[in-house]
Amino acid sequence: MLSASLYIIVCSAKNRFAMRLRRLREPRYLIGAIVGAAYFYFAVFRRMGVGRGTGRRGRASISPSVMLAAYGSAAGFAGTGLLLLAALAWIFPADRGLLAFSEAEIHLLLPAPMTRRQLLVHRLLRSQLPLLFGAVVSSLFVPLAGGSRLRFGIGMFIVLVTARIYFTGVTLSRARLGAWRATERRVAWAPLALLLTAVAVVAVSILRAHQAMPIGTFAGISSNVGRAIGRGPAAVAVWPFAAVVGPLFAGSYRQFFTRLPGALAVLAVLVEWVLRSAEIFQHTPDTVQRPTVDRPRSGGAVRARNVGWTLGLSGRTESLFLWKNAMQTLRSTNVFSMLPFVIPAIVLTVVGATVRMSATERRGPAAALATTALFLAGVCALLGPQAMRSDLRGDLRHLDVLKTWPVKSSAVIRGEMLWPTLALTLCTWFALICATVFSAAAFPSLPLAERLSLAAAAAVLAPALVAAQLMVLNAAAVLFPAWVSTGPQRPRGLDAMGQRLILLFGVILALIVTIGPGVIAGGIIGFVFYRLVGAVSLVPAAIVCLAIVAGEIGLVTEMLGAAYDRVDLSEVERE
Amino acid sequence: MSLSVQHFTRTYAGSGGSVFTAVDDLSFDVRGGEIVGLIGPNGAGKTTTLRSLAGILRSTAGHISIDGHDIVDDAVAAKRVLAFMPDEPHLFEYLTVAEHLRLMARLFTVVDFEPRARALLEELELTGKERSLPGELSRGMRQKVVIACGLVRPASTLLFDEPLTGLDPVGIRRMRHTIVARARAGACVLLSSHLLHLVEEICTRVIIMDRGRKVADGTVAELASRDDLAVPGSSLEQIFMRVTGQDRDGRIVKSEV
Repeated sequence: MLSASLYIIVCSAKNRFAMRLRRLREPRYLIGAIVGAAYFYFAVFRRMGVGRGTGRRGRASISPSVMLAAYGSAAGFAGTGLLLLAALAWIFPADRGLLAFSEAEIHLLLPAPMTRRQLLVHRLLRSQLPLLFGAVVSSLFVPLAGGSRLRFGIGMFIVLVTARIYFTGVTLSRARLGAWRATERRVAWAPLALLLTAVAVVAVSILRAHQAMPIGTFAGISSNVGRAIGRGPAAVAVWPFAAVVGPLFAGSYRQFFTRLPGALAVLAVLVEWVLRSAEIFQHTPDTVQRPTVDRPRSGGAVRARNVGWTLGLSGRTESLFLWKNAMQTLRSTNVFSMLPFVIPAIVLTVVGATVRMSATERRGPAAALATTALFLAGVCALLGPQAMRSDLRGDLRHLDVLKTWPVKSSAVIRGEMLWPTLALTLCTWFALICATVFSAAAFPSLPLAERLSLAAAAAVLAPALVAAQLMVLNAAAVLFPAWVSTGPQRPRGLDAMGQRLILLFGVILALIVTIGPGVIAGGIIGFVFYRLVGAVSLVPAAIVCLAIVAGEIGLVTEMLGAAYDRVDLSEVERE
Repeated sequence: MSLSVQHFTRTYAGSGGSVFTAVDDLSFDVRGGEIVGLIGPNGAGKTTTLRSLAGILRSTAGHISIDGHDIVDDAVAAKRVLAFMPDEPHLFEYLTVAEHLRLMARLFTVVDFEPRARALLEELELTGKERSLPGELSRGMRQKVVIACGLVRPASTLLFDEPLTGLDPVGIRRMRHTIVARARAGACVLLSSHLLHLVEEICTRVIIMDRGRKVADGTVAELASRDDLAVPGSSLEQIFMRVTGQDRDGRIVKSEV
């Protein structure tokens, strides 16, 4: 079976590489590849050269261990983080790891005379190349000196492989936690019990250390954590996790080779755990992820949630798309599907609010709430359109259906933009209202009239900002459908990276051009009336800006209609 | 009610600047009440033709008109009287069966939607599945939903691309009756299928395509009476094999007819 697996891996890799080379004959891939290669050169190799040059002049390169040295043992801290992630994986299983079989594997390998252990070994082997690629790329992008770059790459590879195998084990075990056979239940619960014990031991140790020496600063807290996990039962509990990241944070080759056996031992134990679990569980229904046509993107079995909104049998085309996209968002959204967006949004908001509050020394819950809400409004209005793809970008895979509909093309584009514009504007308004209510605490120097004027102007500008971004992003989907990914998997390769870079710069430029006239006209209005009515002049300025942007959107979507008619489905990159 | 295809050509850009001609100078008409079978080996250009007729793909050359409306210049009017049922059931993941039908009713302004939808769900054995999402349905069921979406509006031109794929025997039988009933009601039907016995049974005329070109057009009796296509008493399968240059076992015996 090993030879069959290796045959699949080698042939697939060889053919994928040949296909990538062949498609460089097409300009869209060639241009992408040139831009991608240029970026790679300037971002990585050029910087490495500069780094070597400056290194000779006495500037030391950065090492991950140096970065964390101030807070104690780097591997210990990273290990504690891994322990936390390992525990969270049981609550939020984001990755099905090796069980995410491809369509071909399901139809060709599952019916083959292979045991589940052999199937998993095949998946394990098959996952190595992408993980190796990920490790190499990450080692190139991290600013390290030549020798430590190799160590970092190998260390990262071990971490990635270990994580992939661990997620597989979690997926296998989670499905059997309620198994009716006692043996299966025991096998499923054993790793969870061990993990919970480790978490409890570490948590208690950190709590005790903090009670013994209560410190308010971040450095003090980390010092306490370092002490707690560096000795006693907590050190034992953290050891497997610290061992996995040990080679990654090695400061020298001597240290690297000393730590390597520990990491490999943990990896071996995990592999054995997963393969044994697979053997024990193989008599019960499988946990293989079967990709099927029209299965919801979230992967799970979704029920048709009643949202109490029935489509009327008559009305404008735009409202039809509003309803369709709203249904998609409202039915596909749950706690798990929101995590990839909510977590970065919360991190950005909290970091921004903390920095702002530290700079202004505004304290108290009201000030904190106002500042946080303000940053949240910014995140919704500025980053929301990139993340919320329930528009034409998301519907490119349904283009063959949309094209048979008897509707005006410009109405399709406007309709596709309507729901994300509405949803993001409402989110921004909600955040702005919260910020305004508590604004007295965060901005005590501003009088009420000014705060209200600013809030009203921001509320008027929000839909303009959101809609302008969505228009540019949807225009990119219409004009360059081949460069927009239609599935959850983003296209890989140098050419795809170059295409994304070109699109990113194009979108930024188009956005500036779109919003520019409105900002200039609104700015003139605001400037003229500011002397007469003060901050209230911001409101008519924002209204003028909104009107101009709305006019531009109407004009551009009409023009894009013709381009939409010409979109060739054979150009759309299918999954 | 008519469908007219005049000198339709569709090419695709291949790698390295090469051009692949999927359909080459195809012309035919379908009148109201006719069921025309479009048959040919894989890669003959049947699906490209149907997708171009439906307005999904643009023609490289030639004209396509539905009820006198050009599919490019007067696309909205042409599509309003057209129903295309593809072989792959592409549905919106988060819309239920009933919502898909309602969406079609809104798009095509169906006035008597409720009774039509009820009758159609009954006819296609989808009753009880109204609140199901596509992900909860089998492939055959999803195919039925696609067909229901096409039939819920009173279209005068029906395009079927392998309409029976995934259907069970009862579904196939019902579908056959449905297609014939629509044609009797005056619709013009163009049907692509590899099931030659079905084509022979329900189609009033047959068009055979091979490598992008029309190689035969007529009723089965007409084709069977042509010396260059068949020997006396030939079935559609025998005509097909001969026209596409294959022997009884499917081996290619000549490159050109």
